[in-house]
Amino acid sequence: MAAEFPAAGQTETGRRRDGFWLLVLWIALSVIGCLLVALVLGPHLPPGDQSSSAASQQTDFTVLSTIATPVVIGVLLYFGWALAFWRQRPGDETDAAPIHGNTKISVTWVAATGAIVLALAVYGTIELWVPAGAGAGEGPQPIWKPAGTTTSSLTSWAPGTSNILQVQVIGQQWAWTYRYPQFGGFETTQLMLPVGQPVQFNVTSLDVIHSFWAYTLGVKADANPGLNNVAYTTPEHTGDFQIRCSELCGIWHGSMYGTGDVLSVSAFLTWTQTTKVQLAALTKILPPYALTYDPTTIPAGKINTALGLTSAGGGYYNPADPEQP
Amino acid sequence: MSLPARVATLVVAFLAVVAGVMFVAFEFIGAQPAVENYTPYASGGQVNVTLMTTPETTVTNKPDWVSYFIKNPSTGSFDHTTYFAVPANTKVNVTILGYDGCTPLRNPVWGRVAGTIGGIENVSYFNGKTFSSTQSLQTFDSWANCAVQHTFAIPGLGINVPVASPTTVAENNALCGTAPCVAGTADQAKAPHSVVTFSFTTPKTPGTYRWQCFVPCGGGYLDGNGGPMGTPGYMMGQMEVQA
Repeated sequence: MAAEFPAAGQTETGRRRDGFWLLVLWIALSVIGCLLVALVLGPHLPPGDQSSSAASQQTDFTVLSTIATPVVIGVLLYFGWALAFWRQRPGDETDAAPIHGNTKISVTWVAATGAIVLALAVYGTIELWVPAGAGAGEGPQPIWKPAGTTTSSLTSWAPGTSNILQVQVIGQQWAWTYRYPQFGGFETTQLMLPVGQPVQFNVTSLDVIHSFWAYTLGVKADANPGLNNVAYTTPEHTGDFQIRCSELCGIWHGSMYGTGDVLSVSAFLTWTQTTKVQLAALTKILPPYALTYDPTTIPAGKINTALGLTSAGGGYYNPADPEQP
Repeated sequence: MSLPARVATLVVAFLAVVAGVMFVAFEFIGAQPAVENYTPYASGGQVNVTLMTTPETTVTNKPDWVSYFIKNPSTGSFDHTTYFAVPANTKVNVTILGYDGCTPLRNPVWGRVAGTIGGIENVSYFNGKTFSSTQSLQTFDSWANCAVQHTFAIPGLGINVPVASPTTVAENNALCGTAPCVAGTADQAKAPHSVVTFSFTTPKTPGTYRWQCFVPCGGGYLDGNGGPMGTPGYMMGQMEVQA
């Protein structure tokens, strides 16, 4: 970070003195800055630590912010030093020495930036791998899955087993609904999760592209029609969390938000049983649970057929419709 | 061209562009439907709100769009708007006159009544001659029975009410063809329709809540969710809760 060449009017001794003090100041300020960012700012960075994926993201933000701190301090320090001490003197019209062709500077610059970028690439890959995708949608065939979990049953679930809890997230203009296949397949507008239990979100859409963003839970997965997008997390603290749509999906996109709740395991089980009973009549008329739903294949009743209504939307979603993409 | 002239031209052109952008923005933002204010008509902690669905909107330049209308509490006529205001912490008794025909829900989950007092809606049907007896219903199977024409949903309050549709093919083929559907003509008076009533309580604090239909009833538009589904004043609106 030291000055490589004497500014106009400076001596060789002056350059070395500037370089020494710049280095000393940079190291001192960087140590202080890194400690402040890592220990004071870090625990308050979003999205918090309500789940394994949120905590992982918060750690990543803290690490990246800490790494960036010496760089930012170095740039600002050098900038301020130049403004304060290397200003052009009256009558001095000489240029500073050119640095083009300086192999030492070129090699140092390429090596340093290359090392930083490659190190961050390795770190980023590990941070996707270890926390099972870090809460991001991994597509229909996820690469990274939570350790020790299986999908041994889609029709039942018990806490503390390897069988992971399945929650289907269904986007539609303009609301989210949630389906719990392991509890009879009921569908509700409430998202409840048990604390300390790994969860597999299966995210899809019934119309346009939405994006399920459980912000403070650290989960974000696009909801595409006809596609299942899988994301994982493990809630670690009880309490509510924010849910938003993060893909512009129509006029009420901005209103497509809400809250979910992380409950104790016993409270979650009670809620599932109560809701299952409350919604029993509705569950009977829902389509069989599937990872995606095709509105063009909805079975129309005899009255619908008589009216010429062949699918959801009264035929408006016909694949042959020239207005369809 | 001299420098002052070039600068003046540039400034004028810039101001013209800014004015154009502001005009378009304010024209769109300002062109919201009128608000039917029911607050002055609340009495004894209750207020009665009446809405109507129509298969066509012949009073606008989009005559083939389905739409909601709201009864003007002062004049008693039905106005083409979907914005209304009600007082806070008040029981709202809603009547929806459903003059449209059935359309299957894309997601049957919206076929269940939610958020109303008692968790039900009361429905009677007019077949063109007589009214049926009133039924209290909670769940509609719009796929099997073609029982729903639209929904009235306020997601922010957890309210969802399927608007029942006329029950037979004959009734669905004899729908009101002029909006609003109670203007007094003989044809309109005979149009089959449903009468849906339900109640809910407004929040204790003021606020604005959007409401919408969850039936993809924008015929001819992508996914059925364009046109009237994406335009304030047709199948969506706002409920303003006033202090």
